[in-house]
Amino acid sequence: MARVQLIDVKKIYQGKVTAVHDFNLDIADKEFVVFVGPSGCGKSTTLRMVAGLEDISEGECYIDGELVNDLLPKDRHISMVFQNYALYPHLTVFENMAFPLRLDKSLRTDPKTGKQIKGYTQDEIFEKVTEAAKVLDITRFLTRKPKALSGGQRQRVAIGRAMVKDCKVFLMDEPLSNLDAKLRNQMRAEIILLRKRINTTFIYVTHDQTEAMTLGDRIVCMRDGFIMQVGTPAELFDSPDNLFVAQFIGAPMMNTFNTHLNVSGGKYSVELFGVNIPVTGEKGKALAEKKVEAQDILLGVRPEHMTLKIKKDAVSIPVNVEVCEMMGSEIHVHVLTKDNTKIIVRMPTINMSPEEKASLVQGNEVYLSFEPKAMHFFNPENEKSLLAGPNAVNSKGPIILPGHEKAEEQKAEEAPVCGPEKSEEEALKEAKEKKEAKKEAK
Amino acid sequence: MQEKKLASLSGRRRLGNIFTYIGLSLISVIWITPFVFLVLQSFDVSSTGLTGNVWPEKWGLGNFAYLFSADCNFLQWYFNTFIIALAVCVGQTIMQIMMAYALSRFRFRFRKGLMNVMLVLGMFPGFLTMIVLYEVLKTMGFTGDNSVPGLILVSIASSGMGYYVAKGFLDTMPKSLDEAAMVDGANRFQVFYKVIMPLCKPIVIYIILTSFMGPWGDYIFAATLAKGASAGMNVATGLTSWLSAANVAGYFKYFCAGGVIVAIPVIILFLFLQKYYVEGVTGGAVKG
Repeated sequence: MARVQLIDVKKIYQGKVTAVHDFNLDIADKEFVVFVGPSGCGKSTTLRMVAGLEDISEGECYIDGELVNDLLPKDRHISMVFQNYALYPHLTVFENMAFPLRLDKSLRTDPKTGKQIKGYTQDEIFEKVTEAAKVLDITRFLTRKPKALSGGQRQRVAIGRAMVKDCKVFLMDEPLSNLDAKLRNQMRAEIILLRKRINTTFIYVTHDQTEAMTLGDRIVCMRDGFIMQVGTPAELFDSPDNLFVAQFIGAPMMNTFNTHLNVSGGKYSVELFGVNIPVTGEKGKALAEKKVEAQDILLGVRPEHMTLKIKKDAVSIPVNVEVCEMMGSEIHVHVLTKDNTKIIVRMPTINMSPEEKASLVQGNEVYLSFEPKAMHFFNPENEKSLLAGPNAVNSKGPIILPGHEKAEEQKAEEAPVCGPEKSEEEALKEAKEKKEAKKEAK
Repeated sequence: MQEKKLASLSGRRRLGNIFTYIGLSLISVIWITPFVFLVLQSFDVSSTGLTGNVWPEKWGLGNFAYLFSADCNFLQWYFNTFIIALAVCVGQTIMQIMMAYALSRFRFRFRKGLMNVMLVLGMFPGFLTMIVLYEVLKTMGFTGDNSVPGLILVSIASSGMGYYVAKGFLDTMPKSLDEAAMVDGANRFQVFYKVIMPLCKPIVIYIILTSFMGPWGDYIFAATLAKGASAGMNVATGLTSWLSAANVAGYFKYFCAGGVIVAIPVIILFLFLQKYYVEGVTGGAVKG
């Protein structure tokens, strides 16, 4: 149980490639934080820096108030579950789980004699391992070797090995990625229960936004080594700071439209496919409070917040059904507008009338509508949300962290001004001259 | 029409197989003849010299008995060879596996350069350095009767260069095993001997076999260092001394019996460890 602080942490490989930029995060004691993002966004690197498996190039990492930058993994009081389980193939399940306990030679008080002893006694090891095995329902596999276990069972053993150790922080690096979809759902639920049982600080890395949403108290959404947004699952889903977060969280991806935000008499509206849709309610109020002016915007609407109707009304957009994907409890309907813009709509099947179902046939015209509260407004230039706070990060162009705007402007000013492009002939001449100069030098 | 085609195809395949088997049988005969000759001659007690007969005129174990008699130096040579092979085997195994682990797991400056240099050095035949090594060992007093420590020293000193196969094997082992052990509380050495070494059984056995075989059959360097001193000879040098023009007439059958006895430990080793040997050789290529 510990607070984890990452202050201006950077990871630079071989002095060239920066994998993580100025990572700042304060993880509270017993908090479950999920790092989520696409491949190569730096989430695993950050986790490995916390674990001590990667050096921290710049910045500071504190675990329970102690600076751990130069501590070995074994001295950081952490447990970790790896994506590929990393079970020791030559040891039985019992020995795998007992491995960290056997290595722990710290001074402890023997519960039986009350004397100071180094490490755990055999009885303590047996007790701890069997208890963890019982929790994870792997008692019957304790004498087996890992190769005799299925993927799910192996993952349980890996979790068990991490569980038996008294750790301050529990790290998990995509622990469910190697499991099939059904087992993943089952294990996800078990991790939620495990979290309640262990009650320690968790850092969990995943690229699966469903895992992030269901497990995390807070989610850290990353891209290209930058934090794009930190917040609760609801905050990320309902109020994304930028288009990247808006589109990364939620499946299928949020629909976006280039449009114009109109303001008339303090009332907002958007023009979409020839239909004027008023922005009323909370969203309208929020825009007014922020004093957002009329401008070109990127309008985002999640597929689950759109509906398709058979009958036209004043604010519905006529579309044609292109593809229907039956998912069981819902249908993902791909529709095309008159100007061939593709839109995906998630339609729950439970309340759908037979007529509505019948209307979802390829080529059929239906009418798309959505509530104003479902609208998200983004600046098309930097993709920041128009309703986001001052600390929001842009997701288009070079990512500028809050507080670094001036430095970036200065950099741009100092950059050499590019002249008119050279013609091919001039470039060739220059290359020839350089070659000759090199030859002469030789 | 199609049936005819199929028949001709199977006929051609059969003909091809016949030629292949004839060729392979011929090669086998050529390969096995010296061994059969050696074994048969070792049991021929009609004469101790080269008789020219393949089949023994008189069967017996007299040639073997001579090898273990007090008049013969064979036991001394055998003991020398065994000591050298055992020491080199232990030394090379430790050096090679540690070298392979370091080059497989650690990233340090000039790592690639070092590997390339060792690759190039390994391409030179060992005997090119023989004269220099002889002079060095002579200065140290490791020649003639005292050549056994010299042979051990030279073989162990160069053993790190043979790390390739072991490194290939280790490269296939997921690094997350090392990382998991480190998070579990192991230091680098504990990771090596508690996690990596037990998983390296096939490759360790492969190294044991190859490093035992090298000095067991070594002739050129052993002969150079021994310089004709019987007490410093290994079994290959000693037995070859019986094939000199002066000795061959009186010692040829003893030579054959010695050859059979030399082969026995190697055969036993391979019989028991061949499963791991194959795993070790192919491990780096197909695993992971």
